[in-house]
Amino acid sequence: MRQTMPVRLGAAEDTLIAQLKSVGADATAERITVAGLPTRRVESYHYTDLKTLLRSIPPLAQAANEASAPALRVPGAYQLMIANGVIQSASTAPAGVIVGKAAGGVLTTRDDVLVHLNGAFARESLTLTLENSVDPVIQIDRRSEGEAAHVADSLKVFVADGASAVILETFSGSDAAHVGNHATYMVLGKNAVVTHITIDLSPRSASHFASNEYHVGEGAKLRTLVIHAGAGLARTQLFPRYEGAGAHGDITGLNLVVDGQHADITMDASHAVPHTSSQPLFKSVARGRGKAVVQGKLVVARDAQKTDAKFMHQGLMLSDEAEILSKPELEIYADDVVCGHGSTCGKLDEDSMFYLTSRGIPKDQAETMLVRGFIEELVDPIEDEALAEALHGIVDGWLLGK
Amino acid sequence: MTTPILEIRNLHARIEEREILKGVNLTIPAGQVHAVMGRNGSGKSTLSYVLAGKEDYEVTEGEILLNGENILEMEPAERAVAGIFLAFQYPIEIPGVATMTFLKAAMNAQRKARGEGELSTPDFMRAVKEAGAQLNIDADMLKRPLNVGFSGGEKKRAEILQMALLKPTLCVLDETDSGLDIDALQVVSKGVNALRADNRSMLVITHYQRLLNHIVPDVVHVFSDGRIVESGDKDLALQLEAKGYADFDGAAA
Repeated sequence: MRQTMPVRLGAAEDTLIAQLKSVGADATAERITVAGLPTRRVESYHYTDLKTLLRSIPPLAQAANEASAPALRVPGAYQLMIANGVIQSASTAPAGVIVGKAAGGVLTTRDDVLVHLNGAFARESLTLTLENSVDPVIQIDRRSEGEAAHVADSLKVFVADGASAVILETFSGSDAAHVGNHATYMVLGKNAVVTHITIDLSPRSASHFASNEYHVGEGAKLRTLVIHAGAGLARTQLFPRYEGAGAHGDITGLNLVVDGQHADITMDASHAVPHTSSQPLFKSVARGRGKAVVQGKLVVARDAQKTDAKFMHQGLMLSDEAEILSKPELEIYADDVVCGHGSTCGKLDEDSMFYLTSRGIPKDQAETMLVRGFIEELVDPIEDEALAEALHGIVDGWLLGK
Repeated sequence: MTTPILEIRNLHARIEEREILKGVNLTIPAGQVHAVMGRNGSGKSTLSYVLAGKEDYEVTEGEILLNGENILEMEPAERAVAGIFLAFQYPIEIPGVATMTFLKAAMNAQRKARGEGELSTPDFMRAVKEAGAQLNIDADMLKRPLNVGFSGGEKKRAEILQMALLKPTLCVLDETDSGLDIDALQVVSKGVNALRADNRSMLVITHYQRLLNHIVPDVVHVFSDGRIVESGDKDLALQLEAKGYADFDGAAA
């Protein structure tokens, strides 16, 4: 006999329900009322128990009056800003870029609380249509400013057939207990080539959530790089879907955590048609009692023969108390595929440390070199020099700053 | 008498519970090259690691004096600054760190520890180019990650390049000939010989007499079961080659 036990709701859930009702999202409010925030009993949140981790939700964001200093400037980049969910007017777009706005959120509905919440709260979305290849890096500077705020924003990008672009998203803001819920929806046309980099540089007091949905068309190549280097609690969800023959994804990500931080990259990839491939590669570096999570699911449809996909997560623990959690999942319905997963975790290699120190390099500097070397595999494929330098700066800042 | 560059007195060392060095005594005066020969497992490589300060080994007895100063309490980096350089038998691959970046970090770290200023980029480039030319090391190889995908010969040449740039007072060469073909052996030996100097000593560890035709030692020591059992001039290496180690091991027993 199954009993329906009412879920005991906490302060965060009560606030969410009130906020959802205030924007007329009654269905989502009802879901939270019945189920609460996901706990570790929900498989996809097993290592990131939102009910425990998210104790309170700040008020819904109002338009920002002031902006903090930019967290990252890339020379030559074309910048667009969304502050507290409001799209700011932008400078003239480079040739081939059409900037617009649309009402509401962007993500395809799926059984996920963060997706539901973004859909309910995102009032308008920034739309970018890239008609042809765009040379300058396009930076979307997403901010949570002022007093602690619950911020939802969304971005939709269409990349035309044969076009190429580098899109950088940065998340930052004032030092307050913001809760950010960000969404990106991206469509890659036939043979499009896109590099999409998202970097969380929020203050430690903030919680950062992002959900990125990708539709990768025939012959298109997608490279992603998620970097968690800011918020106390961060989770980025990646939903790539390979929809045309020859579609390929290099889905990469990096968790950098120190004492008290919790960062989670969760990928749920779908190989929907025959002859698609992906190489998800994630790395986590944890110090102190930092906690890093990577979940990677590859779903191969019954029809998607000749899929070639390999998930990899490599963890580097810089302390005895650090925690790195890894969950690869394969769900394969086709019978002629090459799919795999691997996961490694360890400390800095002692022989490598001895080699470097035997050359007179002090221990802490040798450690920094090795960690930088460990991460380099993710930054190395970024061709834009100014951008690669900016990424090295973030990694070095993390390494040296803490 | 002037202070020898290296003086090892009654050195005992073990790894976990196993004693490997069982009373090594060795003195190398300034400017001399000494060879240590011995069969596999005799403890030759351990001696080189203990000199460089590898943590896995515990020194239980004895002393190592470098220029008269006991170095046993020093960390590996401090020993390097004091003048010890170990050319590894198997140089470690460091992915993601360009060889050039590593060289600059090592040179500047040692300069800083000695209270000298950092090298300017042009000075650094010039030094690397000059040292590299002698060892057939081009700019392309220096851009690659340190030792990653290097051939056996490239790895050993890169070790000697580091040695040339860091200018140690004691060079310890651990089986530098292993993995080298004849041509590479000549290039490497030439590089080593170019570094012979009155104020520098070398300890050349090898299995084979072959290397000693190229790097001619002043003294040859036979190593067996964790200690030196015989010492002589370079002809001792030839005797070893002819008779094998058994005679010397027997004498030790």
